[in-house]
Amino acid sequence: MAEVRTIPETSGQTVRRKRPLHGVEPLDIVIAIILGVFALLIVIPFINVLAISFVTQQEYLKTSILLFPKEWTLENYKQMFIDGRIWTGYRTTTILLLIGVPINLFLTTSMAYGLSRPDYPFKRFFIFFVVLTMMFNGGIIPMYLLMKQLHLINSLWSVVLVYGINAFYLIIMMNYFANLPIALSESAKLDGAGEWTILLRIILPLSMPIMATMTLFYAVDRWNEWFNAMIFIRKGNLTVLQLALRSIVIDSQISQQLNVSNIQTDKQFTEGMKMAAVIASMLPIMCVFPLLQRHFVKGMLIGAIKA
Amino acid sequence: MDNNALIRRIIRSKETYMLLLPGVIWFAIFAYIPMYGLTLAFKTYKANLGIFGSPWIGFENFKYVFRDPAFMESVWRTIWINLGRIVFTFPVPIILALLLNELRMQRYKKTVQTIFTFPHFLSWIIVASVLINFLDMQGMVNGVIRLLGGDPVNFLGNTTIFRPLLYITDNWKNAGWTMIIYLAAISGIDTEQYESAQLDGASRLQTMWYITLPGIMNTIVVILILATGYIMTAGFDQIFNISNAATAKAGEILDIYIYRITFQSAADFSFSTAVSLFRSIVNFVLLLLADRICKMLGSEGLFPPIRRSARK
Repeated sequence: MAEVRTIPETSGQTVRRKRPLHGVEPLDIVIAIILGVFALLIVIPFINVLAISFVTQQEYLKTSILLFPKEWTLENYKQMFIDGRIWTGYRTTTILLLIGVPINLFLTTSMAYGLSRPDYPFKRFFIFFVVLTMMFNGGIIPMYLLMKQLHLINSLWSVVLVYGINAFYLIIMMNYFANLPIALSESAKLDGAGEWTILLRIILPLSMPIMATMTLFYAVDRWNEWFNAMIFIRKGNLTVLQLALRSIVIDSQISQQLNVSNIQTDKQFTEGMKMAAVIASMLPIMCVFPLLQRHFVKGMLIGAIKA
Repeated sequence: MDNNALIRRIIRSKETYMLLLPGVIWFAIFAYIPMYGLTLAFKTYKANLGIFGSPWIGFENFKYVFRDPAFMESVWRTIWINLGRIVFTFPVPIILALLLNELRMQRYKKTVQTIFTFPHFLSWIIVASVLINFLDMQGMVNGVIRLLGGDPVNFLGNTTIFRPLLYITDNWKNAGWTMIIYLAAISGIDTEQYESAQLDGASRLQTMWYITLPGIMNTIVVILILATGYIMTAGFDQIFNISNAATAKAGEILDIYIYRITFQSAADFSFSTAVSLFRSIVNFVLLLLADRICKMLGSEGLFPPIRRSARK
């Protein structure tokens, strides 16, 4: 099975890497199968969740391997809304996104652009000021006490403010700005424009791709936010989405392991409702995923090349 | 004279400083004050006096920290669990990248890659929910086991399965994403090398072994060193959501220990901060070492994109 292949004299050499040849070798099949199995291991749990979220209790109890319900029902989603926790989570997380992401973008963009300016006194100091926070941090306890002193405990502002700038994103953005042609801002400066005006009028319109990437980065992080919310917010009506999901799915599993609540007191079909909650929490990420994939990969490459 | 020139330059750059100001204020309040807050480790915390006003007591807190057996246990557990990650999760994305690179069916390749990267964007709460449903006693995996006539396995409540469970779920969520970094590195390899290998009659497996793998060796080393740098901190989100009452002890890494003593019992903030300071310093030293080693090996050190993926 060794690769004895006749290579056409002129154009053949690049063919192998550019376009698949017609003949499929055993190696291709082996690789395709290995990767396919890994992909299936990722997909099947999701399909299982999706199927359970649409299934009736009777069918769930009868079938142990559930990938496609015979009888579809929306009952579980109805139960999820009646339960209400996911609703609260959606509301809180939406507010968090609407307030938090613009703040993230403002702080990150202005500082990244400032840092990217060529040659001003103490530039290295300011960069060090940022980089140090990437390597050393106070951890959650001083942060909690700080929030307490600022009277932000049980306020959404704590979660908004604690994640104002992500230093990694800041540096990616700084590199992007640093690589824009300097002539752009210089000529505007000669016309008497201030740095803020240059940023808003000239730089930002040229930076839409990186702005889109940053918006996605921050939005996903905010959507997935739970740890800070768990520490800073103890009020039930401000539960973020992820914690709402946690209280529905994981906490009940924990008590099951303790054998405390093994007897289901009501006749509700909780398994279906839980999986409906998982789907509801995942849905927005699934919707933006194609965008995410493109931008994250691109963002990562920008950072990797320029940093 | 020199001083005047500097002052003039500062005045000329005042608009740049205005751009920096909002961000600098944010870092000062939400990064540097908490950093200063670590001094609580040498104080005894009084709620009415706050971080700044509480009285100093020297190394008193540390005496108690190092006397707490649960503390040292959690330190060792953290190191062992994360060394296990280096053995069982670190190589997986490399293998995936090498295989995917060899795959010639473009459509299939794209589909597979999309599937692999998806779980990375979900929180550990969602991933844990999906996998708990899949693996628990009534879950689908046990359904298959029953169908084949076996006895169901309690995957989630078993301390001996707990660590393998961590490595498997870690791979499940993140291997595909880290794979992208290696794929990017592979795409940077000079095509001439492949062409000459082909002319020499090298088989595809040989090219993979002698050209692709050495071509991404730099990236592999950087990611390996970074993983070592994160040995004290990796895994809170995962373990917090995957573990349960039965496996809580097996999963008590340092971060979870800190969380438990601070937020789940009567808190002694000074004591917790002492533990926290220990963690931050060890972490800092490890990262600094990692960075130095990376630079010594000629790479760029802790550049952001790779750190990002190492952290999650």
